Amino acid sequence: MAIGISGYAAYIPKLRIKKEEYAKAWGSFAAAGVAEKSVMGFDEDVLTSAAKVSKRALESVPMPPEKVSGFALASTAAPYVEKLLSGTVIVSVGIPGTAFCTDHTSSTRAGTEAMISALEHMMANSSNRAVVACADAPTASMWDSLEHPMGAGAAAFVLSNEDLIAEVEAYACSASEYLGERFKPKGDEMLHDLNVKKYEEGSLLTNTLKSGNAILKMLNRKPEEYQHVVIQQPDARVPSTVAARMGFTDVQLVAGLVSKSVGDLGAASTAVGLAAALDAAKMGDKIMVISYGSGAASDALSLKVVSDRKSAFKVQAELDRKEYIDYIKYLKIKGAIV
Amino acid sequence: MAHVSVPMYWRTIPQRYKMIGQKCKKCGHVNFPPKGVCKYCSASSDFEELKLSGLGKVHTFVLISAGGAPPEFADQEKAGGQYPVAIVELAEGPKVIGQIADADPKEVKIGMPVRTELRRIYSEEGVIRYGFKFVPAEGK
Repeated sequence: MAIGISGYAAYIPKLRIKKEEYAKAWGSFAAAGVAEKSVMGFDEDVLTSAAKVSKRALESVPMPPEKVSGFALASTAAPYVEKLLSGTVIVSVGIPGTAFCTDHTSSTRAGTEAMISALEHMMANSSNRAVVACADAPTASMWDSLEHPMGAGAAAFVLSNEDLIAEVEAYACSASEYLGERFKPKGDEMLHDLNVKKYEEGSLLTNTLKSGNAILKMLNRKPEEYQHVVIQQPDARVPSTVAARMGFTDVQLVAGLVSKSVGDLGAASTAVGLAAALDAAKMGDKIMVISYGSGAASDALSLKVVSDRKSAFKVQAELDRKEYIDYIKYLKIKGAIV
Repeated sequence: MAHVSVPMYWRTIPQRYKMIGQKCKKCGHVNFPPKGVCKYCSASSDFEELKLSGLGKVHTFVLISAGGAPPEFADQEKAGGQYPVAIVELAEGPKVIGQIADADPKEVKIGMPVRTELRRIYSEEGVIRYGFKFVPAEGK
């Protein structure tokens, strides 16, 4: 029986900072192709965002929260290192305490990891229903150019075996051992990156090509059979690099490329990209999603759009609702002035 | 700081996270936040649980500025500036106090439609206290 997405929604916090603000403060902006990025308000975090976007996704079906039997949360910016994170979200949304909750937190690939964990929960029993919530706001030191691309956003999906918008056709994974790229040592609040460019690109390409090509082989497809391709967006250029090596073109990336206006959404990057691709997709379209997280791993998912039904919460509407802040206000909200 | 112990806060999670109120079985009025004895008939402590819609209208409000914020909200005021605190008349009847988020303090008006949303309220003893704030409901 087909399993897939029966509802979805995105949430982008309304605050934005433009690249010009960074250029004024630091003389440069180290995020290729990113024009502006989203910022969470002082009283928001990934859990409040996950709660909001999960409610929206359930409304988009609509499905009462009481029917949900599995909940998967993904973020690299959780407010606690130890404590059930899903608890805050399921109680607020009204998802029963009997739901199987999983927190996925240690990689920007956590979004697809959560999605696959929820898919496997769906496969266990045909009456199961799952919500996948990906919410992130990665943080690094303001002294580090690694911080420049980091934005904030969330997307959630309702997984079901009825009323599907898109069916999940296949998924594939690649895991490997790479050191020194985007890591957070124990006890450190800030991300590190040794910034060895060519080596890091090697890890990115090795893993994304392995998971992406595994899907093409599994389904006996050619890259041009996909209308939309969503690739991890640490900036707005990386997806093109991966796409070119896989035989995809930039045209296939357009609908799902959100980083140019929100920045790096970490574990929510491919999730918000997928929501944007679903907004644009037509019945019969095929969508490929390829995530990446340092260390390093990549998941790929292939979806087939089976309905023209759309979520009421369009990614474009989230992008359009915005209020600009300057760099000083940004530092204050991020708690970077101590 | 008005100290609220974690066990005490925990007991109020249903009302703070998802607007669980109570309906008096004797007079039918909705109490929010939940009470020991009905606020309206003062004659009953027999209630049924009711999940409120979270929708309401601003009954009245004040703007809290530097120096006016309680200590647990001082950092919020420093980072974000002036913030509105309102008494909101909920769709089900009760009036309740809460902050208004995501709104320009200058644009807050009496009668403005609002709805609840989960936010970080403050943090104490390393524990984040989540709860509802009001946000503009845009006509809904």
